Amino acid sequence: MQASVPTATRIKMNSSQTTSRLVKKSPSVCTDLPLSSSDVRDKLRLMKELLGSCYGPTARLKQVHNNIGGSVVTTSTSSVLLQAITSSRPVIGLIKSSVLNHVSRFGDCGLFAAVLCLSLVEEAARRGVGNSAAIRAYDRLLALCTGYLQREDCGCRVELDFCSSRSLIALARTVVSSKPTCVLAEPESAHIGRLAVRAFLLTVPCDAPDPVRLGRTVTVPVEGRPVLESAVFPGLLLDAPEHLCGLAGVRGPVRAVLFSASLAGDLGELGDGRIEVHAGVDTDAQILDRLLELGRQALEDGVKLFVCQKVIHPVLQHYLRCGGLIVIERVGVSLMEPLIQLTGAQPVATLHAAIPSAAYGEVHDVSIRHFGSKTMLHLHPAGETAVCSMVLCHRNETMLNELKLVCQKAEHVLRLTLREPWALLGGGCTETLLAAYVRHKSKNDAPEATSALGCSQTEYLLAAEAFCRSLESVAACLEHDGGASVIDLTHAHHWTLPSDVTEQHLEGGTAAALCGCGALESCQKKKWSYLNSECAEFSPAPLSTASPLRQPAVLDSFSAKVNALRVAVETANLVLDVRYVIQDVN
Amino acid sequence: MERLHLEHVLQSVSALESIILRSFGPEGGQVLFTRDTGRVMLSRSGERILTALHLEHPLARMVVECVWKHSTITGDGSKTFVLLLASLLRMIRATAAKEPHMSRLHNSTAAAAEAATARHLADRLLEFALTELDGLIALNVLPHGSRVSLDDITAKTPPEPSFQTLLLSFFHTRLGNVHCEFFRDLMCELLSRWMGKTGQPSSSFRFIDNNFPALHTQVSGLPAVSSRLIEGHVIHRDFATPWPQQNRRPVKAVVFSGYLQPRLLAAGDVLELGGEESVTEDASVVRFSSWTERSLESVIATLQSFGVSVLLCALKQSSAALALAAQAGMGLVECVSDEEMSLFAQLSGVTPVPDSWAVHPEHIATLTFCKPLILGAHRYVHLDFQDAEERLKVKPCSLVICGPGEEQTDQYARAFQAAIRMLLTAWEPVDKTEISTLDVKETFISNKCTSLPTDAISGESACTSCSMHPHQKCVIEPGCVIPAGGTFEFLLHHALHQYDRSCSVSVSISAFVPVSHILANALLSVPRQIYSHNRKRFLQAQTRVMALAPQQSHILGARLRQTDGPPEDGKQSARSCRKDSAALTLLDLGLESVSCKYHLVLAVVQCLTSLLRVNKVLRTHTVLHTTSHKLLSARLESPEDVDKDESP
Repeated sequence: MQASVPTATRIKMNSSQTTSRLVKKSPSVCTDLPLSSSDVRDKLRLMKELLGSCYGPTARLKQVHNNIGGSVVTTSTSSVLLQAITSSRPVIGLIKSSVLNHVSRFGDCGLFAAVLCLSLVEEAARRGVGNSAAIRAYDRLLALCTGYLQREDCGCRVELDFCSSRSLIALARTVVSSKPTCVLAEPESAHIGRLAVRAFLLTVPCDAPDPVRLGRTVTVPVEGRPVLESAVFPGLLLDAPEHLCGLAGVRGPVRAVLFSASLAGDLGELGDGRIEVHAGVDTDAQILDRLLELGRQALEDGVKLFVCQKVIHPVLQHYLRCGGLIVIERVGVSLMEPLIQLTGAQPVATLHAAIPSAAYGEVHDVSIRHFGSKTMLHLHPAGETAVCSMVLCHRNETMLNELKLVCQKAEHVLRLTLREPWALLGGGCTETLLAAYVRHKSKNDAPEATSALGCSQTEYLLAAEAFCRSLESVAACLEHDGGASVIDLTHAHHWTLPSDVTEQHLEGGTAAALCGCGALESCQKKKWSYLNSECAEFSPAPLSTASPLRQPAVLDSFSAKVNALRVAVETANLVLDVRYVIQDVN
Repeated sequence: MERLHLEHVLQSVSALESIILRSFGPEGGQVLFTRDTGRVMLSRSGERILTALHLEHPLARMVVECVWKHSTITGDGSKTFVLLLASLLRMIRATAAKEPHMSRLHNSTAAAAEAATARHLADRLLEFALTELDGLIALNVLPHGSRVSLDDITAKTPPEPSFQTLLLSFFHTRLGNVHCEFFRDLMCELLSRWMGKTGQPSSSFRFIDNNFPALHTQVSGLPAVSSRLIEGHVIHRDFATPWPQQNRRPVKAVVFSGYLQPRLLAAGDVLELGGEESVTEDASVVRFSSWTERSLESVIATLQSFGVSVLLCALKQSSAALALAAQAGMGLVECVSDEEMSLFAQLSGVTPVPDSWAVHPEHIATLTFCKPLILGAHRYVHLDFQDAEERLKVKPCSLVICGPGEEQTDQYARAFQAAIRMLLTAWEPVDKTEISTLDVKETFISNKCTSLPTDAISGESACTSCSMHPHQKCVIEPGCVIPAGGTFEFLLHHALHQYDRSCSVSVSISAFVPVSHILANALLSVPRQIYSHNRKRFLQAQTRVMALAPQQSHILGARLRQTDGPPEDGKQSARSCRKDSAALTLLDLGLESVSCKYHLVLAVVQCLTSLLRVNKVLRTHTVLHTTSHKLLSARLESPEDVDKDESP
C-alpha cells in the first residue's frame, strides 16, 4: 500500500476551462497518514500552546496583525483568535471550524474545547494507542462523562437558584473575568457581572405566554468613560437627532408611529417596466404631496414620536418638527423589532391609505440622557415589555469592543440556564473531578468495555489514561505564572499553588486557601497529588461531605461546557480518523 | 497525441485505487480535502473523494464519471468499484501478455496486439456478465442470502438477519466506528414514519430520496447525538413579519407562487405620464401606486375573510405587503424554495395560488400549528399538517442532522441520502413481466423453500430461462441480503470456478474459460483488501464461507442448464441451502444487499469495456487570444478530447 502512494500525487488539478486567462494549476499536495507526520504534530502542539496560554483569568494576551499593516487586534477570546489563525494544515482548519461553530451556538468554553481536542489527539499519539481503538474508547469514555454529569449525585454540578441572584452573578462574573483583554479591576468586573444579570432579568417577560419569547438587550458603547459608569435601563436608547438636544423631555403617554417603508419620496413598486414622464408633470411634487398628507394625519391624530426605518424626506421632516413632533429616521432593521415590542405599534408601509388607528403605539415618556459625548433619547416603556438597553463604558476602543463581546457572551450563557438550570464548578475543578471519576470507572469496567469495543484491555486503559490526562491538562492550563497544579485526593478539586510554595506548605495545608471553584477550604487532613503525576485512582467524594463547605464563587455554564466536551471528543475522533489529506494549493 | 497502452490505463486506475484504499474496509479512515477556496471537506465516501479530485487525465476522469453514475443510482459501492476495476485490469493484462495466438494478428507491435487482446477479453467479459451473471448469482449466491423484512423496522431486538444490521453495516462504511448505531436508529425511525401502511417500500424510499433536501436541516456546532426527528415540516426561512402570537387552532395557510402586490408594469411595458391626450388631474403616478396598494388591501381582506393566518410565498414581497399582513395578524414567509413548496403541496394537498386575487377555498391548507423554530444559528418555520395521517398514511417528520462542523454535518447528511439510495436499489421493484418467474423462484431463493421436488425443479428451470434471456433486467428479489465481509465475492468466485469447470466439461467452448476465470480471480481482491491488515483473517473467512458452499449443487445447477436433472437432486440442493444460510448468519459480519452487489459487478464490467475501447488521447490546445480565425477553425475541426465510445 505504501509503495503505490506516490503515484497518487501525480494526479493533477484540472485546469479551469471557463476563465479567459488560463493558468496551469499546480498539482494538489497529498499527505498520507497526516498524524504520523512530525510537521503536523509540531503544528498541533504549537496550536495547543498558543490557545492554552490564552485560557483563564490570568491568560496571556495575543496581538494579531497581518502582513499588510492592518489594524492590530489584542485578544484572548477563542472566537477572535481562531478566526485570525490560518494554517497550511487542513487538520487544524477542521478543529478550528468545529470550535468556532460551538462558540457561535453557546458563546462560551471555546478555548476549553480547542485545548481538550488538541490534547486528546496528542495524548493518543504519545501513548501509541491505535487510532481506531482510541476513537472507540474515547467515544465510550465520553458517554461515561456525560452520563455522570446528568446524574443527580454528580459532584461537579450545582443547581442554580433563581430565587437569589447570587449564583447567576457568579456565573456572569466567571465569564467576564475569564477575558483579561477587557482589563477590568475586581470591582469593575463585579459591576459588569451584576449589570449582565440585571439586563438578563429585564428581558425575561413576567406574564409569559406559551412559548416564552425573551426580549432584547440593546448595547450602546460609550468610549472614554470609566467602566463603573456603565448602566442598564429598561426601555430603549436611540441616538438623539441634533434638534432634540435642547429638549427637556416629553411627559405623559406619548403616541408613536413607526414606518417600515421609505418616506424619501421614491416611487412605489410598480414593476420592472419603464416610466416615461412628459414635460410639465412633476412626479416628485405629487409624491411629496402624498407624504405631507400622511404627516398631516399623524399631526391630527396626536402623534408625538415619528420613527422611520429608512430615510424621511427633508421637507416632511421640517413639516413634522414644526408641528412639535420628535422625528427619528434611519433607525435600521435591527432596531425595528425592539421598537415594535416597546411601543406596541404596527409598522406602516402603505403610503396611499390613511394610517389605521390600530397601527399607533405608545411609550410612557421620552427623556434625554447624556453619556460622555453621546446624547441619547430614552424611550420608557408604557408597560412591562422585556426590552432594555445596556450602556457600556470603557477607556479605549479595543477594551470596549472586548467588553461588548463579553457582555454578549454573558447574556448567552445566562439564557442557556433557562433551559438547563445548572452550573458546573469552575476553576478547573470540573475537569479534575471528571478525570478522577473516569480513571476510577474505567479501571472497573475495563473487561466489559474491551469486549464491547473489540480492542485489547491494554489499549482501552491507555486510551482512558490519555483521556484523563487531557482533561487534567486543560485544568493545568489555567495556571500561567509558574505555579503548580495539584488535586486533593478526597474530592478531586483543582488547587493552584504559587511557584514559591514548597512541599512542606502543601503537607501543612497552608499553601492554597481555596480550591479553583472556591467551594472548598484547605485543611491539614487533605492528601495531595500533583497533576500529571502517578497516583492511585479513587472515587471522588460528593461535595456535601466536605466541611467547611462554601458557596462556589466560580461557575461555568453547564450547557456550554457539556457541549464543548462533546464537540472536543467528536472532533478529536475525527482528526484521529483522517488517513489521507488532499490539498488544493492554488 | 498520445497512444494509450494498457499500462497507462492501469496506471491511472491504480492511482485512484491508492487513494480509495485509505478509506476502504473496517480499518479505513477519512480523507480530508481542502478546496482552493479554503473550504475543508471530509469524506469516507468513494464517490465524493473521486469527484472532488478534479483529475486531468481523461481516462481517470472517465472512470470517475462511471463511478459517479453508478453511485448516484445505488448510493453504495464506489470504493469497491475502483478496486474491482483495477483488479480486473491487472488480470486482463496478465492474460493478454500470456496469450500467444493473438500476437500473430497482423504485423503490428506486441503492445498493439496486447491491447487488441485486452479489448477482446473485455468485450467477452461484458457479454458474459450480461447473459450469465444473474443466473449464476441466483443459483449460487442467493441461497446463502436471506430476505429481510421491513415490518419490524423500529423493533429494538429484531430477529436476525435484520434490516437494522443492513443499515448498520452501511453506516459503518460511511461514518467509521462511532455514531453508527445512533444514526441507524434515527434512520429506522425516519423510515417507519414515512412508510405508509400500504404500498411499496420502494415508493417511500423514492419519495424520501427525491425530497431529501427539503426533509432535512443541517445544524453545525452541536454534537452528532443531538440529531433528531421533529414532527411535521420545516421551512428553511424565517417569518418576514413579526410572528403573531396566535392561539387559534387549526391554522389556515395559503401558498403563493407570485407577488401579493400586483406588478403594474411588466418588463418592457412603458407607462406614459402627462402625454397630450391624458393631461387630466388624475394622471399622476400616485394614482397607479395607490391602485396597487388598494388591490393588495383587498387581497389581504379576502384572506382574512377565509381566516387565513399564514402566507408562504415563493418570491420576495414588497414592504407594503409585509406591513399589511402584519397588521392583519398574519405570518408571512417569503423566498420559500421550490423543493419546499413542492413538498408542502404534496403533503398538504393544496396547490399554490398563481394569481394573488384568485384565492379559493381549495387553496387553503389546514395546519395543526405553525410557529418559529430555532435550529442552531437560524430561525425557521415549523408546521404540521392536519389529518396527514389519514390522508397520506404517513406521519410527516423532518430530520435535524447535527455535527460539530459544517464538514461533518454535510457528511452525515450525505450518508443518509446514500443509505436511502442503497435501500432503493435493494428494494427495487421487479418488472411486472418477471413476477411470474419470481413467484416460482421465491421457493428457491428465500428461506421459505419447501422441499417439494416439483417446485424446486420449476425454480431451477426459471433460472435457466433467465440466463437464456440476455435482456432480463434483474432476477434478484427485493430486500435480499447477504453477510458482508467478502461473502458475496467468495461465493461468486467459487461459483465462477465451478461454472468454468462444468463448461469445459460439457461444452467445449474454450473462449469462455478465461473470462469467467478472470472475473473470479479479480473478485477475490475485494475481500483481500477488507482483511489487508490481517492476512490470517482472510484465509479464515474464505475457509468459513467455502465450507458452506455445497460442491455438488453447483455442478448440478450447471448441469441443469443443459439437461433437466432428476427430481431427487433438486430436493437435495434445496435442503442444503437452508442449512447454509442459517450457518452464515452466525458470522458477525454485517449485511449487504445482493442487488447492489450485482449492479456493481455489472457496472464495473461496463466501465472496463468502455475504457479499453479507447486507444488514443488527442490533446487539443485552446487558443487564448485568438489572432487568427483560421487557426481557431482548424482547431475546432479536430475531435474534442477522446473518442469515447460508450458501451451500450
